[in-house]
Amino acid sequence: MFIFIRKYSAVLKINWIQALEYRANALVGVIAIISGLFIEYQIWSLIFKSQDLTHVNGFSFNELMVFIFLSIIVGQLKSSWHTSGEMIEGIRTGDINKFLIRPISYFWYHFMMFIGVNSLYYTVYSIILFILIALFPGAIFQAPINFIGFIFALIVSIFLSYSIYYIMICLAFWFGEVRSIVVAYNLIMLVLAGQYIPIRLFPDSIIQIMELTPFIYLVDFPVSIATGRIPIDMWLINFFYSVIWCLIIWCLGHFVYSRGIRKYEAYGS
Amino acid sequence: MRLMVHRYLILWLAFFRNSLSRDMEFKMNFIGNLFIDTIFYGSLYFFFSVIFSYVDSLGDFSRDAVIIFLIITYLTDTVFLFFFGSNTFQVNRMVVRGDLDLLLLKPVNALFFISFRYVSTYALISSSILIAILFRATYLYSSSIGIYNYIMFFFSFLMGILILYCVEFMIACLVFWYKNFSVGGWLASELIKYSRRPDSIYSGIFRKALFTIFPMALVSSLPARMLLFKPDIILLLSQLLITVVALSLAIVVWNKGLLKYDSASS
Repeated sequence: MFIFIRKYSAVLKINWIQALEYRANALVGVIAIISGLFIEYQIWSLIFKSQDLTHVNGFSFNELMVFIFLSIIVGQLKSSWHTSGEMIEGIRTGDINKFLIRPISYFWYHFMMFIGVNSLYYTVYSIILFILIALFPGAIFQAPINFIGFIFALIVSIFLSYSIYYIMICLAFWFGEVRSIVVAYNLIMLVLAGQYIPIRLFPDSIIQIMELTPFIYLVDFPVSIATGRIPIDMWLINFFYSVIWCLIIWCLGHFVYSRGIRKYEAYGS
Repeated sequence: MRLMVHRYLILWLAFFRNSLSRDMEFKMNFIGNLFIDTIFYGSLYFFFSVIFSYVDSLGDFSRDAVIIFLIITYLTDTVFLFFFGSNTFQVNRMVVRGDLDLLLLKPVNALFFISFRYVSTYALISSSILIAILFRATYLYSSSIGIYNYIMFFFSFLMGILILYCVEFMIACLVFWYKNFSVGGWLASELIKYSRRPDSIYSGIFRKALFTIFPMALVSSLPARMLLFKPDIILLLSQLLITVVALSLAIVVWNKGLLKYDSASS
């Protein structure tokens, strides 16, 4: 276990250092979330004003904005453009060979890389989160337990998200180039995971379908915990389901990888 | 001048033929790109259908008008992709790898070459389908749309695409100053999002900015206005002025960038 931690923490450290080299990325990340929120602010303020609404599905205007802001942040933290692109390229060009002859797990190596690459965003977004708490006291983290719950749900969300990416990436063993699948997934998730409109504002029929999928645990679950929209007595069952989804997707990922590696011919190397 | 236009037209046709044969070699990718387009259209449509479950109209834009606006947005995106989409962010790769040297030595305008080298041929299919849908939607639209609207829309639409190109290209050119600006695509996609919402949702100074210094409302919203509402010649002329300014600015940024280029990696 100790060796496992030491090995993969080294990967994390290297990627953290690399991420620090490109600090401009953090600036773009901040622009991305503020810009995303601003568009939602414009559209929802028009809806609230034109319809003379005080609440929409239990959200006041400020609560909705905080919810969307947090959703955009969580959505960015769980998304993987860079790591998935590199992994697909690795399978296509034969770069994956080094993982086959070294005592290192392909899954965990890239998971640590995923965390390392995003580490700069974790830092910057944490600062934004503290500013949000100061600006809207009581809107998020009403109690310390909400903060702790949010952190655990965020960890589950990141792991689940990476595991879903991993399955799509492993399809490259069969199709060679699967970037279009990853891009399509990212586009769907922008809307379906609740990154721009909270899932609870969707039509009931869609919500019922979403509840049967792991996607509800990607953005909506952590944000609902942070904003106190899920009662504490419902946390345990939701955590249980989310962990079960993690195990299912993780096992599925390993199954697809083990099948794919048999097909792999290292033709690019 | 006529000879030069003819020469560059022939060059573009050669680019097109080359891109088509490349795309035909990777048929799965070709189909995959069409699939991405469908997903993109579907997700944007779903977003607005959720919004319209809470509201009847977004300012001047009724539900039907927003649907036509969305088709115009998709069409803008597809036509942009056809001509420029695969090229703008090649600038980053070329500067980082030093490949730009080779391009600068060619006996052709470097800006033309870098802007038009790759044609996204699959966009032809999406564009054809979208044009058919647009005609159908405008035919079924509650108010009648005259030929004058279509003419004004056509010019406004072309200028919208040029503005989009200028914004993306200028962002891509930031690589000359940052040395590696791989997040340029991300930044551009975030800024372009403003063009994917009807301009009526914006208000105050920001709305004015979207029609002038940050002309995202001129990309899809203004063409939609030209088509659906009473055509406004003043607005069209201001769009022309802004397009000319944006194109000139893009050329200036490119030239200034080239002065900064030190071919470090080659």
